This record gives sequence, C-alpha cells and structure tokens, in this order.
Amino acid sequence: MKTTILHVDINSYFATILQQENPHLRHKPVGVIKDEGRTCLIATSKEAKQLGIGTGSNVYEAREIFPEIILIPASFDRYLDATKKLKKIFESISPDVYIYSLDEAFINISHCQKFIYPQAEQLGQQIQQKIKQELGSWVTANVGIGNNRLLAKIASEIAAKGSVLEINQDNLDGILASIEFKDVCGVGYQLTKKLQRLNVTHPYQLRFFTAEELGVLVGPFWANELLKIAYGQEPHLLTLLEKPSSHMKSIGRSITGFRLYDREDEIKSILFNLCSEVIDKTRKMKLAGRQITINLYGQNQAFHDHITLKYFIEHLDEMFIWVKKLYQHWNKDFKIIKFAIRLSLLEPNDQKPLLPSWHKQEKIQTALDKINAKYGLFTLHPASIMKQHLIRPEVTGFLGDRDYQLGN
Amino acid sequence: MYQKIDQKIWVAGVYKNSSFQPTKFKWQDRELKITEVTLHSDFKDGQVKKRCYSVISGQEVYRLEFNRENETWYLREIWVD
Ligand SMILES: [Mg+2]
Repeated sequence: MKTTILHVDINSYFATILQQENPHLRHKPVGVIKDEGRTCLIATSKEAKQLGIGTGSNVYEAREIFPEIILIPASFDRYLDATKKLKKIFESISPDVYIYSLDEAFINISHCQKFIYPQAEQLGQQIQQKIKQELGSWVTANVGIGNNRLLAKIASEIAAKGSVLEINQDNLDGILASIEFKDVCGVGYQLTKKLQRLNVTHPYQLRFFTAEELGVLVGPFWANELLKIAYGQEPHLLTLLEKPSSHMKSIGRSITGFRLYDREDEIKSILFNLCSEVIDKTRKMKLAGRQITINLYGQNQAFHDHITLKYFIEHLDEMFIWVKKLYQHWNKDFKIIKFAIRLSLLEPNDQKPLLPSWHKQEKIQTALDKINAKYGLFTLHPASIMKQHLIRPEVTGFLGDRDYQLGN
Repeated sequence: MYQKIDQKIWVAGVYKNSSFQPTKFKWQDRELKITEVTLHSDFKDGQVKKRCYSVISGQEVYRLEFNRENETWYLREIWVD
C-alpha cells in the first residue's frame, strides 16, 4: 500500500481568524497580543509578515517598521472553536488524523486513497474550499502532500501561501537541496548552527557524510535522524505521532505578569490560581499526579524546585500546600515576572485511598468542581485572593493539552 | 480596537440549514440590520454554553453573545477604528 499523508496548515492562524471576523483588519498589518497592554506579538498577519514583522517581535520593533500596526488581543475561545471545526473537516476525510497544533494537522489517507481520493492534490484543494466554507472566505491554508509526515510538513511549509504542494520522487532531491533547516520539522536552531560548522545548510548535503562523521558533532541519535532527513525519510520524532500516549503525562500552567511581583500575598494568590487550574484539568481528565514543580522567573534570575511524592494527589488543598512548601525554599532574592506550576507523573485515578482525611478532601473538592463547572473557574476562592485579577484558563498554540481542549 | 459595551439586546433571526442566523438586533432603541455574520464560535463559560456571533451592520463590526442556558443576548463589543 502506498502511504500518502497530507499536512494542513492554516496561514497566520491567530491573525487570520481575527481578520475573518473583522473586515476592517483585512489587508492590514495586524499584531496579536496575549492581552491588552502586552508588548509581545504572539502572532502577526500575513501583511505584517511581508513587512518583516514576524511572530515573537515586540510592539516597539513592529512600530518602528510600521507605526500604524493594529494590535488586537488574542481570542482563544474563537481559536479553539475554529480548531474544533477544522478537526471535524479533517475527520470527515479520513479516520486517521493527528491534530498537531491548533492550526496544523496530519491526515493519513493511505487506507482510503485508492477508492476515494485517487488525486491527492485535488483533495488538498477540496480541503481548502471546505475550510473557507466552514470558517470564512478569508481563511486560507497550505496543504503539503508526501509519502510520510516529514515530507508532507516540508511541502506545506515551503508551498506558496494558500496553495497545495506535493513532494514526490521527481522533485524530492531538488527540494532537499534547496530548502533550509528552518523548514524541516524537528531540526532546531542549535542543531542548525552546529551543521553550519560542516558547511551544511541544506538537508541534501547531509548525504555526503557518514553517521560516524555526523555523530562526532551531534551525537549518535541526531546523526541517525539527520541521515533519514537527508533522504526524505521520516525521523523518529515524527514517527512517535503514530502512537499517541493513552493519557497526558503532565499538566502545567504558567502566567507572565504585567509587572514585577514581590508581595507575598500577591504571589501566593497567583500560585493558588494556577493550582486551581491545574487541579481542575487534572480532575476533568480523571487523573492524579505525584510530582509537583514550581518555576519562578525574574528578569534575569530563575528559581526552580520540585518534589516527587509516594502517593498521588488530585485535590486543590493538597497541591497548594506542596506548592507553598516549595515556594518557601526560594530565598526571595528577585522580583517575579513569570510563574509556572506543574503536576506530573499523572496516572488514571482509579484507586481510592482508604484514609478518612482523603475522603473529606474529596467531598470538598467535588463540591468545588460542581460550582466551578456551573459558574466558571474561580467562582469560589479563599478571601486572600479576592482582590486579585483572575487568571482565566487559556488555550496554548501548540496544544500540549490537546486531549483536554478538544475532548468535547 | 474593540470597545466594551456589555449591554443586553434583542435579537431576531432565522433558522437556515439547521443553524440560527441573526438578521437584526435592537440596541438602545435602535434597530440594526445585520448584513453578514463573519464568524460564530461556541464556547463554555464554566458549564454555561455560549455562542458568539461577529456581525456586520452598516460599516460596523459587533460582537454579540448568546447565553444558551438562559437564552439572553448581549452586545459585548464594538469595533472602533
Ligand atoms: Mg499556521
């Protein structure tokens, strides 16, 4: 059986959805910020990109290039709903779909190609049409086609905006000789820099080296991976997508403040909010975890600590007690700009302990879950955090919590 | 930028292909005809299901929100250049 994979990638997703929603933003450079008052552009429109204002630029750099750039807060509810609609489109094409990020998916049509989709390229165009019908005519997507995920993703990466490109035996070598490593999934900046020392700037050039020669520079694992890429074969990292883990291994949440924090009551209430969200997600997915991690970042400093317990936790009180303990290990030598909390080593929570105290906590937590479910997260919270600006749950672009977000 | 309004409105519309399409709304005693729904999204606020419609009336873009639990409509935001 011939393998055929399609990789679909919406162009400038976060900005495009906002432009679809609002015609006043179309044909204009738009920068998406996380929230009012933020200065980092988490996404930019294709018009902004054409001027050299890319994702990750800050507002000041952007204004220097184009003073009238329009800044809009991200709208994560809209993105997530649009992703659900995309997922439905993809799953109507093949049962074998992997949602790679909010706006990217791999569709494996190998099993149905012979009978339903003899022309993959035509299918690509049909997908583009369906996306426009479902999300609006402004929303364009690239579709890449290849006989594995690596090539499908490279194809969509290098295709002209809004087009379909297939990599096959005829154009494979030419493409591998002309693309740069930034267009190759999994090859990061550090690796690219190391390869430059060998004067290797295009994947095709890797064919001139042996695994041993590459291994000296990048180690045996990457030497092997790179040699696969050199010939357009799927590297291990992408093959892993075929075997999704049965459940998430960790759930984390972080927030970057608008200013620096050093007041203990403020810091604790932010940590409490983050714990609430982590526990809420953990419980909704019917998991429990036994490793707790805290990360605090200053402008140049950072504090990290974690603890691994012998038992599993799934209650807010318990989580917050451990986070407070870890926090006490910090010697408070800088002001905090970013906070992060994580619960790891998650397992399905099908075993209930016999301890009476556990059952008491479970009762309280169940009541809390119900109220949160009905009225929204953070309806109930201790008096200490009443005055704080609440941190709302949000969707991350790379969908680390895809199972949770796309679950229903 | 979007300007916050957060006021209750009345909405009229039609069901087309088994989905609701708002066609006009009444806000502050003015009746506004909707010429296009540019985007609609379902989301949950806690367990309360909501649906927002981004609509065009005249030159203006409005963000409407429908609370599917108690069936009330709000005008949430207006785009001002
Ligand atoms: Mg994209």
